[in-house]
Amino acid sequence: MNDDDLWIDAALDDELDAAASLAFQRRLENEPALKGAWDERRALRGALRARATYHPVPTGLAARLSEVLGVSTAVAATPDGGGARMDPGAGADADVDVDVDADVDADVDRSADAGVDFTWRANGDKIDVGSAAHDGGGMSQGDRRQRRRPGAGARSRFAAGGAWRPWMHGAIGAVAASLATLLVVDPAALRPGVAGGSAGLRAVSAAESAEAAEAVSAHTRALLVDHPIEVASSDQHTVRPWLSARLNFVPPVVDLAPQGYALLGARRDVLSGETSAALVYRHGAHVISVFVRPAPAGRPAGSDTPLVIRGFNVIQRTQGGMAFCLVSDLNPRELAALADLLAPPGGR
Amino acid sequence: MTDDSHQRFAAAVLPHLGAAYNLARWLVRDAHDAQDVVQDAMLRALRHFDGFRGGDPRPWLLAIVRNAAFAWLGARRPGEIQLAEHELDAALAEAMDGAPSDPEALAIGRADRRQIDAAIAALPIVFRETIVLRELEELPYRDIARITDVPIGTVMSRLSRARSLLARTLRPEVAGNPT
Repeated sequence: MNDDDLWIDAALDDELDAAASLAFQRRLENEPALKGAWDERRALRGALRARATYHPVPTGLAARLSEVLGVSTAVAATPDGGGARMDPGAGADADVDVDVDADVDADVDRSADAGVDFTWRANGDKIDVGSAAHDGGGMSQGDRRQRRRPGAGARSRFAAGGAWRPWMHGAIGAVAASLATLLVVDPAALRPGVAGGSAGLRAVSAAESAEAAEAVSAHTRALLVDHPIEVASSDQHTVRPWLSARLNFVPPVVDLAPQGYALLGARRDVLSGETSAALVYRHGAHVISVFVRPAPAGRPAGSDTPLVIRGFNVIQRTQGGMAFCLVSDLNPRELAALADLLAPPGGR
Repeated sequence: MTDDSHQRFAAAVLPHLGAAYNLARWLVRDAHDAQDVVQDAMLRALRHFDGFRGGDPRPWLLAIVRNAAFAWLGARRPGEIQLAEHELDAALAEAMDGAPSDPEALAIGRADRRQIDAAIAALPIVFRETIVLRELEELPYRDIARITDVPIGTVMSRLSRARSLLARTLRPEVAGNPT
């Protein structure tokens, strides 16, 4: 997988923010190879959505569930017949089911559940099963399709996602803006072999440089689709338990705002096939991903040679049994300063 | 469980039975087995409904369905879920050959239902679940990450790989590109 695929897929999935989307459109106009790959992906998407089978609920399953669960399943299938992708047989399912009001209201009616109607009861007077479900959204293919159209852009959709985005608000919002700018101004930095080249590559082990390249991809992915953070907090007492509940190790987490490196939060990511903690810091307008995981056996203490990969600076260091990998467009000197704070050379 | 919570369960969760069945059906690839998985998942969902804190119930339910399907497969066909990702990478390296040409894109666009279903069914399970959640359920990365319990970056790389494999399968045979 290369970064072009990331761009194509994220654009296809409507997960690019407006600025990145614009940058991608410009690249499409100028790069025929990219355009070819994009066309193929779009053709694949179109074929999948038009013709892949959306398996309809088999006749009888809803009735069986109502028996087992002790609840009515009258609202259990797509009420509007399922649209183009449902097989014709799907409509037949609609003949079998139980009555919403009677059944949920009082169990006595369940004995009569064979052969009752499947009416969509949007206005049931006792319980608002129908309307509640409509409000909840996601009822049918049609509804879903509407909700997903470009009108609901990635940014606004995600902004509604609550916990995923608190970092967008307030002062930190500026960082998001700067990320967008970065993507517009320098999309080339995300292309392999363009911006950084191999100038910074020196004597580092193959494993380390492979991992550094993966770390850059992970950092890029996180920024590209604009969700670098799963748990947003500058409080290490919030971030650390969140990570330790999801990882089989406990990474060191420290806010370094007084030193100029504010902790924004953390996410999980995968490096070398293993789940890693990724702490996210901000320094000025720059976002830094710090990948932390237990040091692989036999890993040397770290060459500490800064690498430049596709325009990003990477510093790897092993300290106290943990392997650190810092990735950012921040300059190497200030990135090394953060590395020194997190994993002091010669410390411990 | 009170009558009231039964009602709330019915209202919140049951409208997504269609999505639950479709996911289970694609994961276990058998209509009968999928019904067992859905029943198991619905019982779990009902049991844990008190832990559901509102929001969109569909990803919540699909995560339960997905776990039920993996548990079911783990007990009966463990080989299907024990593929390590690095093994998948090897298979994928082949899928990355050559840039597609316009005629290929056109041919992929014309693939029929049988070819498409077969191509999806042949995907390793972690790619299959990701593509079903994305293309059939049309869920955003964030929800897919929650359902499949992996980082969003992994969702992205799995989607990319799944699509490359599908494209390779559906691409017409051309010289130097055996399918």
